[in-house]
Amino acid sequence: MKLKKLATQAAVAAIVVMGASGTALAQADCKALIQPSPFGPDDQTGASNRITPPVTKAAAAEIKTGEVVSMSNVLVDGIPLFGTRFSKDILTAVGLVPGAEFGKNQATYMEDTWLSQSHVGTHFDGLGHIGIKDCYYNQTPMGKFVTQNGLKRLGLEHLNTFATRGVIIDMVRVFKEAGKLKKNPNCKADCIDGGTVFSAADIQAGLKMYNVTLREGDVVFLHTGYEDLFLQYPAMNAVYNASEPGIGMEAAKWLADQKVVAIGYDTFALEVWPSEDPTQGIPVHVFLIANNGIHIIENVRTDLIAAAAAKDGRATFFLNMTVPKAVGFTGNFVNIEAVR
Amino acid sequence: MATPASCLGRRRLLAGAAGAALVSAAARAANPSDRTPPWRIAFANINETQGVRIEGLGFTGLDVRKSFELAARTLPVNIIYYDNAGDEQTAVSNAADAISQKVDLLIEYNGETGANPEIARKAAAAGIPVLAIGYPVGNAPVYSADNHEAGRIAGHALGAFTKQSWPDETPLAVVLGDIGDPSDAVTERIKGILDGVHAELPGVEPTMLDSGGQPQRGDDLLTKYMRQQPRRKVLIATLDDATALWARNAIELAVRINDCVIVSQGLDRTVHGGAHEKKEIDPTNRASVVLGSVAYFMDRYGYDVLPLAMRMLKGESVPAHSYTQHVLVTGGNVFREYPPIDMN
Repeated sequence: MKLKKLATQAAVAAIVVMGASGTALAQADCKALIQPSPFGPDDQTGASNRITPPVTKAAAAEIKTGEVVSMSNVLVDGIPLFGTRFSKDILTAVGLVPGAEFGKNQATYMEDTWLSQSHVGTHFDGLGHIGIKDCYYNQTPMGKFVTQNGLKRLGLEHLNTFATRGVIIDMVRVFKEAGKLKKNPNCKADCIDGGTVFSAADIQAGLKMYNVTLREGDVVFLHTGYEDLFLQYPAMNAVYNASEPGIGMEAAKWLADQKVVAIGYDTFALEVWPSEDPTQGIPVHVFLIANNGIHIIENVRTDLIAAAAAKDGRATFFLNMTVPKAVGFTGNFVNIEAVR
Repeated sequence: MATPASCLGRRRLLAGAAGAALVSAAARAANPSDRTPPWRIAFANINETQGVRIEGLGFTGLDVRKSFELAARTLPVNIIYYDNAGDEQTAVSNAADAISQKVDLLIEYNGETGANPEIARKAAAAGIPVLAIGYPVGNAPVYSADNHEAGRIAGHALGAFTKQSWPDETPLAVVLGDIGDPSDAVTERIKGILDGVHAELPGVEPTMLDSGGQPQRGDDLLTKYMRQQPRRKVLIATLDDATALWARNAIELAVRINDCVIVSQGLDRTVHGGAHEKKEIDPTNRASVVLGSVAYFMDRYGYDVLPLAMRMLKGESVPAHSYTQHVLVTGGNVFREYPPIDMN
C-alpha cells in the first residue's frame, strides 16, 4: 500500500537527515521562539544562578530544630507512570555465591543496574526537557546538540546547588478556607480536584496564611493533596494521570516575577490539566523552563511538610535536594528533604 | 442548519468576516449595561443521558457539558446547567426555570426543534438574551458545526489522496454510515462529501452503504462491497468514527489495506489519544488505512460558545451564525490539534 510505503520513506528520510548532520534539525528561528536568558547568552545554568552563597547562608537560618521532613515519594514498581515510562532495578548479587567472597574476611558485595527513564517518581525537569520546536532554554537550537547518548548542551551537569530556602504553600488550606474546595472523590484525605486552576491570588493567599514573602532564589512547593492518589498506587494510577489541579499562565508569570528557582508539586506536571487553553501544549512548562530557566519538580510528597507547617505555623525550611551531575540528562529522579 | 454549497470558501467561527450579518446582543438584552460580572448563565444541554451519542457522531452531551465546565474556569461566570434530555417538554420547562431564576443569558442546545419557538418567546418576554447551539431559537445568534464544510473536507481529502497515491487509478468510492438519518446535519455532511469528491474526482460517484445507525454493520456492508470489487481501489467516507473503525476491521480481514483509504467524521476520543495511548490516529501509526477524521471539536464547544456569550453580555455584536473551524486531523497533526500532556 502506498500509505505504508510513504510512511517508510518518510521514516528513512528522517533518519538520514538526523544522521547526516546535527545542524539539519535546527530549522526554527530560536530568537523568535524563545526569550533570551537574563543570565547571559552562553548560560546553561538557568534560574539556579540565583542560588548564591548569601542565599544559601540566609537559607541556613531556617534550620531551627534540625527536624528533617521527607518530600520524596518512593520509586518502586507500580507507581503512576505514563505509557512506556519505566524504572527497573536489576540486582547483581553474584558476590553472595559461596566461594565468591573476597579475602579471608569473606567480604561480599551487591550492586544494581538501574534501567530507568529519567522522568519517573519524584523528579526534576532540567533545561533540556522542554522547548518549542527544536528551540530550548536561552534560544538554544537543540538540534545541534542532540546525540543518542544525551545532550551536548543544557544537561544537568551545568546546574548550581539547590541549597536554598524552600517554601510550602498549602493550596488545600487556601481552597478550604475560601470555601471553594472541590475534592476528587477518590482521595481519602482532602485534595483539590483535577482541572482546578490556581491563580496568583490563590498562591498569594497561601503565602499570607504563613506570613511569607517570596525571596529571589526560593524553591516553592505547592500542596494540592493530589498525591493522595499517587500514594494509593497502583489502584488510582489512571485517575492520578487523567487530570490534575495546577497553576495557569497567570500564576506562572507571577511566580517567575518573584525570581524563584524551581516550583515543586504533588502532581505529575505542575500545570492545570485539562489546560486552560486546550489548543496549547503544556504552556506552563514552556514558559517556566524554556523561557525563564525555572525548573519544575514533579510528584513531590508535600503532605508531610504541609502538616508540619500547619502544626507550628512555619512554612519555610532549608531545602536539601541534590541533582546529580548527570551529563547530558534532561532530568532525573531526586531526593528532597525539608530541614527545619 | 442547512448550509448552502456556495458558502464553501468562507472563513468560519469568530472570524468577524466583513459582510457577515451581525446581531446586536444589546438589542435583545433588556439592559445589558446593567449586567455586571460574574454573570449568571443558564446552559440547557441537548442530552446528557449516559452513552447517548449526539449529532450522529461519537460525542456525548457529557462531552459538551464538560467543555463548558472547563472553559468557564477562568471566566467571570456562574453557570446553571440543565439537561434537555432529548425531550421537548423538558427543554421548555428547563428554559422556564432558567428564566424564573432571572439568569443574564440562556444558552440553548435543543435538538427537539418544536420547542424552540416557545423557548424564544418566553426568553424574549423576560428580556433574557439567548445564544443557540446547533438549532435556531427565534432570532438568537447560533453557534454550530458546519456540516457541509466538514463533509467537503473529507471528500476533498479522499480525492487529494487518490491524486497523490493512485494517480493512474479511477477508484470507487463509498459513503458508509447512518445514511438514512433524516437530520439536516447528516444530510449536509453527505452532500459535502459528495461535493468534495466530485470537485477532486469528477468521474467518481460514491455508493451509499447504509449501516442503519449500527456501526458494526459497516463491517458486513463493506466486506460484501469489496468482494464485488476485487481489483479496485476504494475511497471510504465514514459518517462517524465508530463506523470507521469497523470499516478498518473489514479491510484488514479482507486483506485489502493496499486498496482502501478511510476518512471519517467527528474525531471523537475513540480514534485519538495521548502520547502514550495507542489509537488509530496517532503519529506512530501514520500508515493506517484510516487517513484521518474531520474534527468537530464538540468536546471544546464551551471554549467557542462562552466567549460569544461574554460578548453578548457586554452588549457587543456577535455574528448571526458562528461555525466550528473543522480541520482534517491525521497522524501528522493530531498532537497539534489535541496536545497531550503525558510526556511532561
